Amino acid sequence: MSPVPQFFAEYQARVDVELRRLVPAGDGRVEQSMAYTLLAPSKRVRPVLTLLSAELCGGTVSRALPAACAMEIVHASSLILDDLPSMDDSPLRRGRPANHREFGEAIAILAAFGLLNLAFGAIAREYQPPLAASLAGLLSTAIGVEGLIGGQSADLLATEQQITFEMLERIHRRKTGALFNASATAGARTAGASSSQLAGLSAFAKNLGLAFQIVDDLLDVEGDPAETGKAIRADARKTTFVSFSGVAGARQLAMELCQTADRALAPFGRRADRLRALSAFVAGRSL
Amino acid sequence: MEPRPPHRHVDELRRQLRSLGYLDAGVDRFVLAGATGTRRPIAIAIRASLRTGILAGVLLGPASTIWLHRQLPGLITGPRDALVLAIYLAILFGIGGTVAALIAGVGVSLLARLAGSAVARRGRVLSVTAGSIVTIACLAYLTLWSRQAQGIETSLPTTMVVVALAYSVIVSLLLGHAVTVTALAIVVAGTGSAPDAPGVPGASWRLAVAAGILAFCGGLLLFTIVGATQSSRGAATPLTVVSSGLRIRLFAIDGFDPHLFETLASQGRLDALSVFAGARATLDLADVRQAEVVDPARTWTTIATGQPADVHGVRGLETREVAGVRGRLSMGGQSPMGRNIRAATDLVRLTRPAITSRAERRVKTFWEVAADAGLRTAIVNWWATWPATSGTGIILSDRATLRLERGGALDGEITPAGVYERLRTAWPQLRQRAESLTNSALRDAHTKGDTAALLRRSAELDALQLVLTQEIATAEMDLVAVYLPGLDIVQHALLNTSSGTNQSASAIASRLAALEEYYVALDRLLAPVVRANSSELVLVLTAPGRVTTSASGGLTISGPSVRQATLTGTARDVAPTVLYALGVPISRELPGAPLLRLFSEEFTRRFAVRYVPAYGRPSTRLAARQGQPLDQEMIDRLRSLGYVR
Repeated sequence: MSPVPQFFAEYQARVDVELRRLVPAGDGRVEQSMAYTLLAPSKRVRPVLTLLSAELCGGTVSRALPAACAMEIVHASSLILDDLPSMDDSPLRRGRPANHREFGEAIAILAAFGLLNLAFGAIAREYQPPLAASLAGLLSTAIGVEGLIGGQSADLLATEQQITFEMLERIHRRKTGALFNASATAGARTAGASSSQLAGLSAFAKNLGLAFQIVDDLLDVEGDPAETGKAIRADARKTTFVSFSGVAGARQLAMELCQTADRALAPFGRRADRLRALSAFVAGRSL
Repeated sequence: MEPRPPHRHVDELRRQLRSLGYLDAGVDRFVLAGATGTRRPIAIAIRASLRTGILAGVLLGPASTIWLHRQLPGLITGPRDALVLAIYLAILFGIGGTVAALIAGVGVSLLARLAGSAVARRGRVLSVTAGSIVTIACLAYLTLWSRQAQGIETSLPTTMVVVALAYSVIVSLLLGHAVTVTALAIVVAGTGSAPDAPGVPGASWRLAVAAGILAFCGGLLLFTIVGATQSSRGAATPLTVVSSGLRIRLFAIDGFDPHLFETLASQGRLDALSVFAGARATLDLADVRQAEVVDPARTWTTIATGQPADVHGVRGLETREVAGVRGRLSMGGQSPMGRNIRAATDLVRLTRPAITSRAERRVKTFWEVAADAGLRTAIVNWWATWPATSGTGIILSDRATLRLERGGALDGEITPAGVYERLRTAWPQLRQRAESLTNSALRDAHTKGDTAALLRRSAELDALQLVLTQEIATAEMDLVAVYLPGLDIVQHALLNTSSGTNQSASAIASRLAALEEYYVALDRLLAPVVRANSSELVLVLTAPGRVTTSASGGLTISGPSVRQATLTGTARDVAPTVLYALGVPISRELPGAPLLRLFSEEFTRRFAVRYVPAYGRPSTRLAARQGQPLDQEMIDRLRSLGYVR
């Protein structure tokens, strides 16, 4: 695994601090359940993407921080729901028992909804109306039927089914790609980016999102559970990119996608080097 | 559990990913970037079309400028002209591209609104259809354009056409692809759902980048070929002169009617010209004087170059000057379409009228060939000789008189500059000489009033050209040629039916009498100069002028080695005949041939016609141009003389 760049660790730390500030304090089960998943050790790839995108478009980290955290909160919420017995029924997440194993299904579901609510609240409170509305809309699309919910639904229906490559891409475009895209776009919007900057970042996020998913599939096949925090072959019942291309092919495609993502940043020049480091990190998770 | 799908080849997956919009950072992003954040189909159509237009402008503007440079020599005189024209054309093609993409986009958007989910299901097919229509339309337009260029420049090399067509294909595909992408985005936005198979058909950054590189290389290659072609086509061959010892004095008289001349000669009224009984060729000018085009610049340039107007490039006296460009553009001649284009471009101040110039001429004149062969030449007042080039003998261009009148620094009117200094110093005396010659020529004219003024003004103009010729033409000059416009001006003013309303017999008779008086005056002006000595050939070249579509001109020769003969030739034979008499080889590119029967048998036996493959392109070394251009003064002068309206 490639080492985390210095700046990356700093951004992760700032996101962690902000998440701790945002997560509701209290000893209640739901609060504990929310903090359990949200504050678990994580790469924070999505919020870092938001922060880097904002910086790239001339914005500041502090202004983009609430939006970045909202992305991570939504992601944490989706993880809780994904792991439920009625869905993927995963026992392990981020190296620890899954949320529902620790707090029970009912609390886990409430914690997931609590997190979603927290995300929208953070955006509503931290930004002025026009930007807040725009970011809320962005988040809503990323979560909705064209995003996480639609992707998860299609994924459930496809389990143990023979699906086409196009169907697989469609699932992951919504399950992973949508939030990646929203993360990059949200950061750019907090910086008042131009439409061409948005388009460049969108192309970057799209390719990076799929690369991230392919690497995830590779890690499922050959990764170290101690590193991934997930049980190996947890996705054995599912068709993955590795099913279509084999391990070497998937690795090759992931690398090409990361290279394409880098090329989409060409108009930004050297200023985009940190985002390129992020894509190198994504590719390096397995390569 | 179902069996796993077999591992498919990575190339196949890569292709699929491209079709789904991955591995792509190219044109799609550019085209749709403006539409990011909007979901209204019409807004997407407008914004994406604008970007498609930009793409069309950037790709086609510079390339079409290169084409125009090839097609209309004289339009682009330098890098600044090329830049301005490229911007104009980029805007033009940009608007065209935008409109085409917008029509396709709005069409798809309306369909999406009317047909709803049915369109969503067939979104990909619809998008590809819209893109294909734009591709085909664009390609058809560009191909027709290339073909038109080929039609004008008959000897356009095949490789150039192939390259141009390949470039057109690439650009058309690229624009079609942009429209496909736009249409797909509109379908998705309009129906609220993604089409059955997501992604852009055929989208791939590699394809877009490859097409871009190819398009760029195509343009570059085209440019290189044009450059190479210009230097290699018709490359000049060194000319060796086998001198016959003859020098030539050529007088070009426009507006000449041979029948009226015969009548006056038989009445004994033309002393000088009637004794000028040399060999005579009747020239068939039909090829240069199409029924509806009687244009002095076109006719006399054809005579001077021996090539048809399509080849020499001077199509008419009036051309257009494109705003911001020093070069000229002849627009559609006298055809209704040409008039409409002129009116339309006038309206938006894009072009303005200008007088044809030497810059539009693509081939050498006989005096340029003679000068290249090392002969001493002087040319006075010939059409389309401004701006003069240096190193081609003495040239008093068609603007020389204007410059001498106005004074000041030269703007290419006369070359070499030393001649201008000399003429400018002697100008008052030269004017005086011309005036006394005029007085003498018109001494017994009976005409009164406006007509008398017309005769005087025209005679002064002719006298001035002859005085200037005498001033610059030393005895050693191998070739001296002068164009005399007076007779044509008089004839046009008196007989042009559109200008005169009084058509009574007496009015017509008095106008004819005035015209006859001018023949007499011209005869007197020419009397001292048309007598040939033992080493001189005097050529009198005539054309019927602007009032008639008659297609007969004449070439009369007197001097040693001339045979008494009457024969028929064409305007294209004049240049070879003059060059043959001077001992200069004839280019195989010339369509005409020397009129050998005008020369004695002994002469033709001693001096066989020699040929060279080509004379090459005219020199582009311009004479000094520091002075104020006399463009407006030239237009005013020609307007006052009835040449332009």
